[in-house]
Amino acid sequence: MEKSIENIWKEGFLKSDALVAPKINSLYTRKSIHVIDKFKRMFRINLIAIVAFSFIFLIISYFVGIPLMGAIFFVTLMVLVVINKRLLNGLEKIDKGVNSYEYLKAFNNWIKKQVAVNKRISTFLYPVIFMSLIIGFWFKDAEGIPLGERLVGKILLTFPDTPLILGIPLAGVVIVVLILGILAYFGSRIYQWDVNLIYGRVFKKLDELLADLESLRS
Amino acid sequence: MSSDFYNTSILPFKGIIIKLCRAYTNSQEDFEDYYQEVCLQIWRSKENFREESEWSTWVYRISLNVCLTLLKKKKNNNQHFVSDALPAEETEDNFAFSDESLNLLYDAIRKLSEIDRAVIMLYLEQKSHQEIADIIGTNSNNIGVRVQRIKMRLKKILDGKIN
Repeated sequence: MEKSIENIWKEGFLKSDALVAPKINSLYTRKSIHVIDKFKRMFRINLIAIVAFSFIFLIISYFVGIPLMGAIFFVTLMVLVVINKRLLNGLEKIDKGVNSYEYLKAFNNWIKKQVAVNKRISTFLYPVIFMSLIIGFWFKDAEGIPLGERLVGKILLTFPDTPLILGIPLAGVVIVVLILGILAYFGSRIYQWDVNLIYGRVFKKLDELLADLESLRS
Repeated sequence: MSSDFYNTSILPFKGIIIKLCRAYTNSQEDFEDYYQEVCLQIWRSKENFREESEWSTWVYRISLNVCLTLLKKKKNNNQHFVSDALPAEETEDNFAFSDESLNLLYDAIRKLSEIDRAVIMLYLEQKSHQEIADIIGTNSNNIGVRVQRIKMRLKKILDGKIN
């Protein structure tokens, strides 16, 4: 007669080798391999790196004569840090002791929220960084005159009929606006592509797990 | 982790953790990683235990939630989310139990989806439908039907392999 799976289970675990726990080594100091802890670590490292970089860049920009660029860079990156610190706080609140559905839902909601927020930020981030470069160099002091004005002066000397908008050559304005548009368009897509490359499997698996659990809830 | 906490609060429930970790891993190395990670997460989350449920139920929840969202090492050293089981022949020798029937049953369980693995493990641990529903967060009315389906699937996989 065939054994039932209940009996196989019951009898199998009566054997002495079935429930031998692995040796625990310095568990307290062990680095967690859990995906949420990996996210936390990655977030913390990124935020620290951004803060350090923005401070260093602010100081360097002052000494090389482009403080405006450094200041815009600094403020933009600090906004990024504050928003992502708030997101990180949300991750800390995920409780692994609740039921699996609530836990997976909370984790999935957090991931979706952080991707949506950072996608939106990326739409603005790259154009703002590009503009900070333009503004920074435009107002850089070049022998008593801002570099931008000096450049326009030289262009007007060679091409006196150059059309201007608020003292800036129209062609330059068009090129800058075009680049800003391209950066805004691709910024969020680059972020999405980057995230999918690293965490695509996690997203897919979470969706599958939740779909399975939802079919059991209906 | 203090050894006191491990000895008094985790070790008495090692069976639960071992059984679950075995169902979600294919090698001894992964199993040990999962076991240690579950213990670590139980210790880290202990402040969140609000005595609204039994400690054992809470340990089940943590163990299951950790297993469901762990990234597992692949043999080519890449990492990926817990995924489909390897065929039985690819299972490492030292990972197997001495009871051949139990090995075959575990191999069959590893062929199920992650949620079905959780359901059947809890069922085999003689949890009621309501307890299973509470642990995984579903409707208890559907658990009975799902358990029957899983049992049929397991029987089909094991058909002729166990006497």
